[in-house]
Amino acid sequence: MIAILLMAIFLLSSRLSHALEVSQEKISGDATADSSQESISATHTENVLPGQNPVIFQEDDFSSDMTSPAELGENIEFPDENRTRFRKLKNYFSANIGMLSYGVVQNPADSIVNPHNDLLELPGYVANFEMRPDLYFDSSYLELSVKPRAKVDFQAWEEGMRENDTEWEHEGYVNEWLVRANAWHKIFVSYGRENLQWGPSFLFSPSNPFFTDNGRINAYMEVPGMDFGRLVFVPHVNWSLSLIVNTDEGRSVPLGPDPFSPIYAVKMDYTGEKAYGSFIYSRKDFKQANTFGFFGGWTASDALVLYTEGSMRRGSDAYYPVEDTSSFGASLQRSYSDDHEIKPTVLAGCAYTFENSGTLTLEYLYNGQGYNNDEADLYFTTARNVSDFYNKLLQDAASDAEREDIAALFKRNASSQNASPGLRFLRKNYAMLQYHQVNIKNRLNISLRWTQNIDDGSGQLFGLFSYFLGNHWELFSSGLINAGNEETEFGSVLDYQVMLGLKFTL
Amino acid sequence: MIQKKFMKQGMVLFGLFFIVVFSILAPTVEAQMNPTEMLQKADEARGNLEGIQWEIVMDSIENGREQNRKLEVTAKGYNSLVTTLAPGNVKGQKLLMQDRNMWFAKPGLSKPVPISPRQKLLGTAANGDIASTNYSGDYKIVSVENEQLNKEPCVIMTLKAIDNRATYDRIKYWVSQNRLVGLKAEFYTVSGKMFKSAEFEYKNSVTINNQPREFISKMIITSAIMKDDVTILRYSKPSLKKVSDATFNLNLLTR
Repeated sequence: MIAILLMAIFLLSSRLSHALEVSQEKISGDATADSSQESISATHTENVLPGQNPVIFQEDDFSSDMTSPAELGENIEFPDENRTRFRKLKNYFSANIGMLSYGVVQNPADSIVNPHNDLLELPGYVANFEMRPDLYFDSSYLELSVKPRAKVDFQAWEEGMRENDTEWEHEGYVNEWLVRANAWHKIFVSYGRENLQWGPSFLFSPSNPFFTDNGRINAYMEVPGMDFGRLVFVPHVNWSLSLIVNTDEGRSVPLGPDPFSPIYAVKMDYTGEKAYGSFIYSRKDFKQANTFGFFGGWTASDALVLYTEGSMRRGSDAYYPVEDTSSFGASLQRSYSDDHEIKPTVLAGCAYTFENSGTLTLEYLYNGQGYNNDEADLYFTTARNVSDFYNKLLQDAASDAEREDIAALFKRNASSQNASPGLRFLRKNYAMLQYHQVNIKNRLNISLRWTQNIDDGSGQLFGLFSYFLGNHWELFSSGLINAGNEETEFGSVLDYQVMLGLKFTL
Repeated sequence: MIQKKFMKQGMVLFGLFFIVVFSILAPTVEAQMNPTEMLQKADEARGNLEGIQWEIVMDSIENGREQNRKLEVTAKGYNSLVTTLAPGNVKGQKLLMQDRNMWFAKPGLSKPVPISPRQKLLGTAANGDIASTNYSGDYKIVSVENEQLNKEPCVIMTLKAIDNRATYDRIKYWVSQNRLVGLKAEFYTVSGKMFKSAEFEYKNSVTINNQPREFISKMIITSAIMKDDVTILRYSKPSLKKVSDATFNLNLLTR
């Protein structure tokens, strides 16, 4: 409703202000139709030097917090601007209108984690068209934004139970919206559906307790928004304090099998001359362990930036394989939920920019909640047992209908028996090397990234390219290749993925 | 009675004499302004310590590649926020500079990316060129000499950065003695090599203490190393105001 209302206000005001501008220009005649600046000059000739344009002073931007012109050190006075109310009204609104279309070809790995692709049911082909308007209203005390989306999606499957299956979907939704009010330009209170991200790292943002996807894998894919209430206090240019609660999962899908529950967080930020740092304290639903997150960065030189990001908490809410008497020999359980041992997740990174503006980034991640070697062995052994059992059932099935029933049962059981560990990264040690360069010949942006799972030897190569076709069109493409056998993290889900798309921005 | 008449005439004559003498001496008073005061006046024509917001149309040619941008810049002290207004494919991109810490954000990219100062996104223009100018605060005057530039009497100031927060290590700055505005600048590296120069135009106007003052409208930056590399910045809609600290807060950057 809010989205529709905002869109209506936006469109109405734009049209209304445009209509009034046109009518005013007609009334004023040619002499004043040239520009508002001439009118200003005419009104204030006594204050303006010949052949010069007067400085525009925006009265609306001054609040009780802001110093009036007379209070400024040099007693500056400014000519009035000769804008109509409706022109001013129009200035409150802005928009980014985007349209995006892309196709994806991908090959799901036939592995013990996803046998015949029957568990994850990843499509082999995807075609997509999206409308992405972002609408904004900005005034001194109130900011509104809404990002409605319309999407048409085609998917086709090549293997497993959904072989030769196709599906069309269309969807309309609001991915993000926000109402933000401010008092004295120091206190900001907001509520809305946001993609609330922070921290300097690329691979993963462990300091953020709300989102496991930081949106940096593929910038063309939007991260689903989550509902937040926020209070931000900015007492000084170097300091700020935020109180944050997520009230609903919104469009976001929680990691792992647990249903959504709110997280309460306090975030304190400092920015100095060359460095910045933040601490985040969070707690999930007042029941689980406290989590302390942090991130910081240091601009060591013009070319070198060093940073770190992490979080610490006792135990873990993730699911770990535990040997039992079940037919598969083990099951996933919350083994460390009451554990008092601190499990840190720490990322350290550095970025060096070459003379050509290309930037090489290196990150190392220690994921304390990840599986150790024994746990990983047991996890994949159990997955193999389940996969073998499933294959045997399929072989023994007498008909296609019976095979479909077995596949449906397998998928349902896997979901109910917590087959997802609830971890962003499965193992403990990772490294990432990235090369990123923008504006090559003012047209081309490239990103090449290698992510290495140090523990199991698997890796992922990801490339993202975009090419500007004029001022509004952008051609983009991404490629992803996973390396590793089926008992490794990157080798167990997807072999490769290629994406090609076109984006239009008004 | 006659004495009173003479007294009145005498006062009128004295007043006229005072006005004439003051008018003659006024430019001299201005010329006798010390270099630091002149530099402060020149800064006033290129910014405002409390904050400024303006639009900049930037046309840049660098290594044969042409870049055109329309930017909205909000600046205060060492902090600035640059929002790209056009062209469409880069519209909404934001560059936040909190002192030496820099962040880049764009629509669709959910998380602002930290970048190094070397990742120039604005052609040959340095970040300090698009933000407010505070040479009198960032640099100390190490030498002064008089010279004419295009038949205009100037004071040439050699400025040395007070600390590494300043954009340039050393600047040679031509300030008009009559207009009290910077006309030309040469920028030098730590090794003493000139790497770029700039010329300034002042076709905007601002009223300070009831006096109309020229205000920057154009800056032409030429690379000293690659002579064909030129960046032209056209300043419009300047708005002098006290900018809120929250403008530069990363928590409020994207929405």
